[in-house]
Amino acid sequence: MPASSVAVLKCWMNGSQVKVFGKAVQTVARVSEALWLDPSEKGLALRSVNSCHSTYGYVLFSPVFFQHYQWSASATVTDNDIPLNLNCKLAIKSILPIFRCLTSLERNVEKCRIFTRSDKCKVVFQFFCRHGLKRTHNVSFEESQPLKTLLEKNMCTNLLMINPRLLTEAIVLLTSNQEDVTFAVTPGNFCLKNSSEESLDLTSSVYSEMFFGPEEFDFFQVGFDTEITFCFKELKGILTFSEAIHAPISIYFDLPGKVQYNFLKCSYCPSENECYFCHLFRPVILSIDDMLLEANFILATLSDYPSKASSPQSLCLSQARRSDWTLSSAKASKSRNSQAPESISRTAAKRLFPKDPSKSSSTVETKRASVNGDDISEVPETVVSDTEAGPGSSHPTKD
Amino acid sequence: MKFRAKIVDAACLNHFTRVSNMIAKLAKTCSLRISPDKLNFILSDKLASGGVSMWCELEQENFFSEFQMEGVSAENNEIYLELTSENLSRALKTAQNARALKIKLTNKHFPCLTVSVELFSSSSSSRIVTHDIPIKVISNSVSIYLPALKTMKSVVEKMKNISNHLVIEANLNGELNLKIETELVCVTTHFKDLGNPPSCNTSQDRRPEDMAEVHVDIKKLLQFLAGQQVTPTRALCNIVSNRIVHFDLLHEDVSLQYFIPALS
Repeated sequence: MPASSVAVLKCWMNGSQVKVFGKAVQTVARVSEALWLDPSEKGLALRSVNSCHSTYGYVLFSPVFFQHYQWSASATVTDNDIPLNLNCKLAIKSILPIFRCLTSLERNVEKCRIFTRSDKCKVVFQFFCRHGLKRTHNVSFEESQPLKTLLEKNMCTNLLMINPRLLTEAIVLLTSNQEDVTFAVTPGNFCLKNSSEESLDLTSSVYSEMFFGPEEFDFFQVGFDTEITFCFKELKGILTFSEAIHAPISIYFDLPGKVQYNFLKCSYCPSENECYFCHLFRPVILSIDDMLLEANFILATLSDYPSKASSPQSLCLSQARRSDWTLSSAKASKSRNSQAPESISRTAAKRLFPKDPSKSSSTVETKRASVNGDDISEVPETVVSDTEAGPGSSHPTKD
Repeated sequence: MKFRAKIVDAACLNHFTRVSNMIAKLAKTCSLRISPDKLNFILSDKLASGGVSMWCELEQENFFSEFQMEGVSAENNEIYLELTSENLSRALKTAQNARALKIKLTNKHFPCLTVSVELFSSSSSSRIVTHDIPIKVISNSVSIYLPALKTMKSVVEKMKNISNHLVIEANLNGELNLKIETELVCVTTHFKDLGNPPSCNTSQDRRPEDMAEVHVDIKKLLQFLAGQQVTPTRALCNIVSNRIVHFDLLHEDVSLQYFIPALS
């Protein structure tokens, strides 16, 4: 990074703003082990994505949310004219304890200050509390470029907006311990249910369903009959946040088979076919839009194809399996995209050094820079091994 | 087979829920016997011999505002189901403040007991939650007229010295057997030409010679037989394989029912 360009973030909040901010941190923290603090002129964003790219969380606090918001990144653009990012990746276990007891924070904190500079690897959280107490947390961060997405929610066929309390109450009534929940909509109604199983014995779970009419929604737009299935616990976390800030939750989703439709673009994908969000499992977007903040959680859903036999029983279960296969994680950022996109599967890694090299088809290998981890400045190396090249010429993949 | 019932009274609903919770705490699976006047929950957990077996009876009119059932056959007007007890109690939990609760037997992909809860809701329309509880319909059941109770009693009395564990089996050809089995000896007493009550068992595709059997504690059977001093007007027994044996006696105008649950 050029020495002359330093970006500075300074923002101040009062007690009740801290409570909302803390709630957002807690909600985004559920997604993975790390979250990114991403300030820009649009405001301060919290971002997180889980390791298998099936959940993406993003909360943007607009500058007017804060008592004072300053992000000066002017005159600090890089050569390619791209605004400087803070590239601040925080471990959840460092930041979550700071925002633990939100009710007591709201009561005791008079002012909270967050500041950092892009040339220091620390974020400072200062709480000025009653009785003259001042509490300071210096949290180190790892430099890592956040994953950004471009949402085109308006392109979705179906949009529902509802008071989160209604959904929360409904979910409590779905009695089984299943991990997934299904929304089934028709132009006439909305049904919340367990994902249906074809099992035939006493040990199978109870199948429950609950119907809501369109009049119970603040907004109800259904293009075609659609069913989507996604992870239950992720929905619960977002509903809690939505209730806490007293804002309705909006649910955007689309038809099955509309996988070609890119209504998200991921800054990490070199091509649409390789990004999880864009391509494979048409996502559902849970969105909260308040005047002061905007939250979007993008969840992958179980593909709704007729051959149920091929689709995994539980989405959450399949996520664990999914981490074993192709993750499009070896990405060069678009700004230095001179190389062909690469990705590698872990199972293929086992075959990298086949007993009979002549049998291996041409495999593309790279040293993987995983999205969640490493410094993006680490350039992925490419080695293409074809049938001629032996295993010795390839690099082992990094976990 | 049909079953539909409805509870509208809050106190009855709470009471029914509490019964279901109690059963869920006692056994993982239970059998439910539905007859025109009663519901019986029978614990069918594996119990060590000498352990406790449970039998819970509810008069349906004390709970349900509407109750309709149609059993397997006219003579055998009952329905026997098996279900996971916790599934029922959890489904009933959602009915805590319900306007009404409906239970019915359905067949959606597989046989279910569908619990439908009508909740009070803030909007004008009431919210309906349905839970489909998977069940197994137990249909291996035979009804047969009993031989002379005095004869049965003397046979069983002698058997009790050999083993604690007795098998009662019967088929639709009017044959009833009482069997005991130990390492050293097997003893069977066969009763023939007893006759079966008329039934329209067309739903069951079982051969008349197929036996329905149940393993019981011999002392319990003996206790029943010893109590019979007078020859009844009519005596029949209904065996539900591996679940329960039900003795139905009629003395003039006094009806006696005796149930012995199966041993594990």
